[in-house]
Amino acid sequence: MQKPKENAGLSDEATTAINPRAAGPFALAGAALLGGGFVLGLLQRDHLAYFLHSYLVSVCFVASLCLGALFFVAVLHATRAGWGIVLRRIAEFLSVNIATVAVLFLPVLVAVIMRNHWLYEWLDAERMREGSKHYSELLAIKRPYFQVFFYVARSVGYFVIWWALARFFFTRSLKQDESGDPNLTLQMERWSGPSLLLFAVSLTFAAFDWLMSLTPEWYSTIFGLYFFAGCVVSGLSSIVLSAVMLQATGRLKSVITPEHYHDMGKLLLGFVIFWGYMGFSQYMLIWYGNIPEETVWYQARQTNGWALISLALLFGHLLIPFFGLLSREVKRRRHLLAFWAVWLLVFHWIDLYWVVMPSLEQKRPQFGLLDVAVALGILSLYLAGLALVAGGKSLVARKDPRLGESLAFENY
Amino acid sequence: MSTLTLPLDDNTTNDPKHRAPLIAGDQSLETLTDVVSGIVEQPVVPRSWYVAFAVSSALAAMFFALIGYLIFTGVGVWGNNSPVFWAWDIVNFVFWVGIGHAGTLISAILLLFRQKWRTSINRFAEAMTIFAVICAGVYPGVHIGRVWFAYWLAPYPNHMTLWPNFRSPLLWDVFAVSTYFTVSLVFWYLGMIPDLATLRDRTQSPLRRALYGLFSVGWRGSARQWHRVERGSLILASLATGLVLSVHSVVSFDFAVSQVPGWHTTIFPPYFVAGAIFSGFAMVVTLMVPARAYFGLKDLITVRHLDNMNKIILATSCMVGYAYGVEVFIAWYSGVHYERFAFLNRAFGPYAPYYWTMVTCNVIVPHLFWFRKWRTTPALMVIVAVLVNVGMWMERFVIIGISLTRGHLPSSWRMYAPTWVDIGMFIGSFGLFMTLFLLFCRFLPMVAMAEVKTVLVHEESHAAQH
Repeated sequence: MQKPKENAGLSDEATTAINPRAAGPFALAGAALLGGGFVLGLLQRDHLAYFLHSYLVSVCFVASLCLGALFFVAVLHATRAGWGIVLRRIAEFLSVNIATVAVLFLPVLVAVIMRNHWLYEWLDAERMREGSKHYSELLAIKRPYFQVFFYVARSVGYFVIWWALARFFFTRSLKQDESGDPNLTLQMERWSGPSLLLFAVSLTFAAFDWLMSLTPEWYSTIFGLYFFAGCVVSGLSSIVLSAVMLQATGRLKSVITPEHYHDMGKLLLGFVIFWGYMGFSQYMLIWYGNIPEETVWYQARQTNGWALISLALLFGHLLIPFFGLLSREVKRRRHLLAFWAVWLLVFHWIDLYWVVMPSLEQKRPQFGLLDVAVALGILSLYLAGLALVAGGKSLVARKDPRLGESLAFENY
Repeated sequence: MSTLTLPLDDNTTNDPKHRAPLIAGDQSLETLTDVVSGIVEQPVVPRSWYVAFAVSSALAAMFFALIGYLIFTGVGVWGNNSPVFWAWDIVNFVFWVGIGHAGTLISAILLLFRQKWRTSINRFAEAMTIFAVICAGVYPGVHIGRVWFAYWLAPYPNHMTLWPNFRSPLLWDVFAVSTYFTVSLVFWYLGMIPDLATLRDRTQSPLRRALYGLFSVGWRGSARQWHRVERGSLILASLATGLVLSVHSVVSFDFAVSQVPGWHTTIFPPYFVAGAIFSGFAMVVTLMVPARAYFGLKDLITVRHLDNMNKIILATSCMVGYAYGVEVFIAWYSGVHYERFAFLNRAFGPYAPYYWTMVTCNVIVPHLFWFRKWRTTPALMVIVAVLVNVGMWMERFVIIGISLTRGHLPSSWRMYAPTWVDIGMFIGSFGLFMTLFLLFCRFLPMVAMAEVKTVLVHEESHAAQH
């Protein structure tokens, strides 16, 4: 049986906060990279079509990290879990950083407000004007939904919901660091259920709006869950990676043990399979039904060189990490687990690239310097935000009533 | 019958500093064995059990009589027509397969998630899984008409070089459901071996000793035997976890691979799985509330267990509601005429009462479980659980029946009405289910004694006092 031990193991050195000044270099590097990417985008002379698509890929990528982490926090509360308390603060930092992502999302909103239909085809008024040679009846039907104002309002709404939820858990958790009041835990547990409902609905519509509507005539009811699966995989990966990096700097050494990594590895494996389950369900049913309005989306991803990336996802996002994460040893060794976390983050980015880029009217995948600059730029700015959010704060929910249980946690 | 008069501790309170005990009363290893074994060992079986068994087995007999009538006469005795080729037969098949899912979730997924409260209810729920899959398996077997060719579903080398169509989800169903049944049965049996040995060692009857002895396969409780049972359970749990998801996913493929509006939609696999767990838990709660009172198991299956199950019902209700909502939204968003019509027809067509019953029972009523009072009062939770079962049956009819009555071609539209044989067989399948269930309660340990003993706090707290 596990005997909860006192929180004495939490020496100050173990939980030394991150210095918020680390944000500076990241912000500078991010701005420079993004600026470079923007210039490269201008040079393409394609109305920024490529730049905006690439930008959307990376901004959805960082959003998904926050959302996966938010899901982790809410589920820990909803299930009254004890084992993961030592990791929860890291997840809270990641989820609250949705504020940075909201700022990073502004260029997309600006592009929509300026009706840049090279990003979203439905912004092209010609497509909805009867009599025009570009007219599409299927698009005209959706006119009430595809309004610039409505799109912007919805996107702002999603960020407000996510930020409010993340803040709700974060502020109470910080307050508990001072008071140790168990009522805060009860309060968070009580609201975790409704939070997950709001989370599910907002995430689904965000996936529809930001990603599915890139091919506006196409639809798939599972699309929200597909994006959700990717969010959780990348959220869990980010938590693992953050923990490993913090331990590499000497922090949390005796706090996070192989037992916690083991459980994170199990969850990762589970959600890797879940992602495959979602992807397979969507693909198989569309392939089998063979209705042109639906197959068009996969058609674009099976021709002109995209088939290779589709296959890369099948192997890189499912089969290889599945076998990689099966072993108990891999899950318990943080450096091996960190390798798979990085691997999955890379493939999650490729997944989003594969979802977004084929809607560009181009023949082949053109992965290049611009994508790298934009991705690293956004990631740097995200990390800058993370340093500001996490700076000066305890890295562990140090007075959580169940912390002892988490510290003493052992798999069996 | 046991002689438990200890007050039921309220273990549903939530204090973050202490985990509430899972077992109420002052149960020790010994009293626990007495309580559970006592049910099987009672010298005089209460008359109420015989009454229940007589009713159930009469209904089960009716079920088999109607199957005989069906086979000798033909599927025309059902209300199925053209275009409604699938009706109550497949509705009942999906309904029963769904009921089974709670058992596997409890025994497999909750084991992987270290939810120790599952130990009190897993045996019971797994038994329900097996009986429900038996009821489900009957329907596809008999609905094909010429049942004597049912073995053609199996791929085997034969001189006619007949080979099943591997691209057909109907064939996948054969594999999915039979694998599910096999693994569930093995899993259930494996966990029961130590308890069967306990019964073997306690019984006075030579016949019982021989039979329990046979099925406990020489269990002596050695460390090595325990090790193997535990490893085996863990491996089977991992395999069964995949099966929880795959079985109902494959069932959903039966519909979703087609082009029928209302059937062909990509969310079907996870949506069906959530619905199956939803209905399965509702059935477990429906049967467990009376069973724990009747057999004196309130200390082992506490209000906390019921509370937890009701939370799962609430969570899966939200998932099912999510799927309904997304389907309706995408039907509009798709702009496809037929998709839109299919959903309008469900809500406002001739079968609208079915649809609205479904929505009320599955999406609205379970929200009562946000309130603690509804989750922890047995009489109230049974009301919700029964309504969920009604709603989930309606859901299958809404999907299967309504979609077929009005397809792409209005000239082929036709209404559907069940015949007395349809209704009789459905009622009869409950008879079969309850017959098996009552036999289980009578002859096998209803609670996994060996597993519950691992979560007893009694011994520990007494050790501390001395």
